[in-house]
Amino acid sequence: MRRWTSLPGGVKFLLGIAALFLVLFIANSTLNRYVLHVITLIGIYSVATTSLNLTNGYTGLFSLGHAGFMAVGAYVATLLTFPVRLRIAYNLPLLPSFLGGPEYQWPFLPALIVGGIVAAIAALFVGAPVLRLRGHYLSVASLGFMVIITTLAKGLKDLTRGAAGIQAIPRYTNIWWVYAWLVVTIYVIWRLLNSSYGRAMLAIRESETAAQSQGIHPMRYKLLSFVIGAFFAGIAGGLYAHFARSIRPYEFSFYMTFHIVIMLIIGGAGTLLGPTVGAAIVIALKYVLKPVEEGLGIYGLVEIIYALMLIGVMLWRPEGIAGGVNPLKFLMPKRKGGS
Amino acid sequence: MPLLEVDRIHVYYGVIPALVDLSLAVDEGMIVALVGANGAGKSTTLKAIAGVLRPRAGRIRFRGQDITRLGADRRVRLGIALVPEGRQIFSTLSVRENLLLGAYHRRDPEVKKDLEWIYSLFPVLRERMHQVAGTMSGGEQQMLAFGRALMSRPKLLLLDEPSLGLAPLVVREIYRVIEQIREAGITIFLVEQNVNMAMHVADYMYVMEAGQLKMEGVPQEVMRDEDIKRAYLGG
Amino acid sequence: MFTATYVAQQLLNGIVLGSMYALLALGMTVVYGILRLINFAHGALVTVGAFTFFGIFVVLGWPFALALVAALVVGGVMGFLLDLVGYRKLRGGPEVSLLITSLGIYILLENFIKLLATPQPYAFRPPAFLVQLHNVGGVAFRTVDVFIVAVSVLIMVAFALFVKRTKLGIAMRATAESVEAAQLVGIGVNQVVAVAFVLGSAVAAITGFMWGAKYGQISYDMGFMAGVKAFVAIVIGGIGSIPGAMIGGFILGLVETLAVGFLPPGFAEYRDAIVFTLLILVLLLRPTGIMGRKEAV
Ligand SMILES: Nc1ncnc2c1ncn2[C@@H]1O[C@H](COP(=O)(O)OP(=O)(O)OP(=O)(O)O)[C@@H](O)[C@H]1O
Ligand SMILES: [Mg+2]
Repeated sequence: MRRWTSLPGGVKFLLGIAALFLVLFIANSTLNRYVLHVITLIGIYSVATTSLNLTNGYTGLFSLGHAGFMAVGAYVATLLTFPVRLRIAYNLPLLPSFLGGPEYQWPFLPALIVGGIVAAIAALFVGAPVLRLRGHYLSVASLGFMVIITTLAKGLKDLTRGAAGIQAIPRYTNIWWVYAWLVVTIYVIWRLLNSSYGRAMLAIRESETAAQSQGIHPMRYKLLSFVIGAFFAGIAGGLYAHFARSIRPYEFSFYMTFHIVIMLIIGGAGTLLGPTVGAAIVIALKYVLKPVEEGLGIYGLVEIIYALMLIGVMLWRPEGIAGGVNPLKFLMPKRKGGS
Repeated sequence: MPLLEVDRIHVYYGVIPALVDLSLAVDEGMIVALVGANGAGKSTTLKAIAGVLRPRAGRIRFRGQDITRLGADRRVRLGIALVPEGRQIFSTLSVRENLLLGAYHRRDPEVKKDLEWIYSLFPVLRERMHQVAGTMSGGEQQMLAFGRALMSRPKLLLLDEPSLGLAPLVVREIYRVIEQIREAGITIFLVEQNVNMAMHVADYMYVMEAGQLKMEGVPQEVMRDEDIKRAYLGG
Repeated sequence: MFTATYVAQQLLNGIVLGSMYALLALGMTVVYGILRLINFAHGALVTVGAFTFFGIFVVLGWPFALALVAALVVGGVMGFLLDLVGYRKLRGGPEVSLLITSLGIYILLENFIKLLATPQPYAFRPPAFLVQLHNVGGVAFRTVDVFIVAVSVLIMVAFALFVKRTKLGIAMRATAESVEAAQLVGIGVNQVVAVAFVLGSAVAAITGFMWGAKYGQISYDMGFMAGVKAFVAIVIGGIGSIPGAMIGGFILGLVETLAVGFLPPGFAEYRDAIVFTLLILVLLLRPTGIMGRKEAV
């Protein structure tokens, strides 16, 4: 039998998928609904964190607007799939006719993809002016974008029902949808990293000036990674909306961004599987600690622990938890002449 | 006991070695020159002595005291001042502010007197006292960098290519001041591309190549070596 | 349409808000200048200051001046500790590590306050003399408005003198220009950074008191937007410039207030969106801000 490590990357990837879905299948038929709920949520956040990883982990940009792109995806997908018979009752008349108007309810998959595309377009508009500047501007501008989006979601009451939010969203999201999208996200990023685009992105992370001197045009690659990251954030938002079945503007807040950042840092930025590991740790911890927090009435405990974990990882283990022991290391692009 | 002893230091930039097992000594009251080709590691040596870079192995002693672990600011206090390559004056500060920062750690009342001394060494600095340093000419900036380093009352002055990019007349001026500084009792360790200049002022000379010491001795002796002559004096 | 008194009233409110942004921007820009760190935790010091004052003045009933000094001291000490424990180890590493850590510190502080004070907002009652109403030519204001503007101007002048005249202040500007060159003249960079954190944090804590006194309410999350907007002010004024930070603060306060005051009523809820749209416009049209020099990418 051939050793695992000697198999080609593509074969390993397929075997990995098969194993993942086998595990999911067993889980789905043996575990209770509560645990499945948590597993599904982990999958959704894994998509979001993996997409953030593309911008933050591989290119060295630091976007804090991820929740904004998730909000865009969530609202767009929700408006498209919202049941026709409920549209009048829920008073959502503004859906433009080119998006189906009040008479047509979209199927889930195209609605998700359109949500992702709209998020990607939004990223294009935010990214274009900001990405040519130093990385810090992107952090604050993307945070600002998130504030603009949530304010719009609150203000455009005819489209979003304002602060009240949208309820009774059909529950399309399930464990299969979520993990299929996670596989797609990881696959796309893997392919991207192993293409010439990916190598250019990594070169930019190492040193922008050096990359430039090799004839790499940093702006193009930064924008690309930002836009693709936003697309998958939009997908994660759409999945989230059809999982939670209700969305409100304030959910897509700084805290949502912060949680995704924590998942990324704890899991290990710049690794393919790190985001998923981070999402699993952070969400599992939340479900363990939330009852403690509520039981003891110490509000803020969970966030304090998250914050301490984040600071601790930054100070003592900046490569994250999965960073050192990454089982999917073989998917990483090979550096020229490197180990 | 030499004023400065560099004892088998190794310095790296990331994984790239820049200094390999380098040892040298500077005796009190002397002008010692360090020469070598571009990229030989001369600036790196000075930075390691000044404390901007930390050696991965080896020791540096100043007046017998081990200073290997001390930060750059602490070494200034002990009496080591570096006039760095490219001068690195504070371009947004005025000439006077630059000079006063040279005496940052000093609390003694003689700072004013030293300021006068600097102005007498470089009269142009007095004229430009309130000018923003970044707007001065290259030569004036070099004088300011000298003045700023002297304001810390160093015992050992490290000079990294003080003549670089300056017109011959200004170079002569700078070297006149170097002699004056030595007469004031300050030891000088000088990195110089201009070997002719270095030969004339130096009491002792080190030659570096690729991060290692190649030769040492009094200048006349070193310059008698055929290889060195070919490399530095063009045959 | 709009009467002269209404315009004057709006301008006054804008200047008061702008003073507070300017104070926050001041502390942030000094730290940014040296460490290239957008210190998100700066906003948390606003909350810390407000709650310290509240605890001592309202809950314990101690004198006003004492509560104010306590806020100042607690802010300064916190700034010192954050630098020492949180940031010092990360210096010289990737800039983004500092940014992420500051996010973590912000969340830590915010939730710590939430834990101590519970999530509900508190009515913030400053001493009676501060809430006294005045009316000059139809423009209404309280003593606290005068207090905020006067104290802000005082702090800014004092700070300007500090960086212009004192050795430590000059060293601070020098360090902002080049950390390495600063070390080479014997400046202890750690010491300078600590001073920047202490001063900036103490000022932020006082701003927290002002914020509460002006708007009559404090809550555990009050500092976040204030802190982020202070950074927007820095960008508007020109990153790296101390006068720019103050000018940017005033401009931001005025724009925010006037936008809400002069746009149709429904737009009031867009005030944060307006601020950030302004940010993106500035980045698009004049990324160096008003006073700034070009910053290397
Ligand atoms: N910051 C740095 N990062 C990586 N390598 C460096 C760095 N600074 C210097 N080096 C490398 O270390 C070696 C020694 O450099 P150093 O500046 O000490 O040379 P030098 O003798 O002063 O040369 P020159 O005469 O050109 O000033 C060179 O190969 C250089 O490329
Ligand atoms: Mg050199």
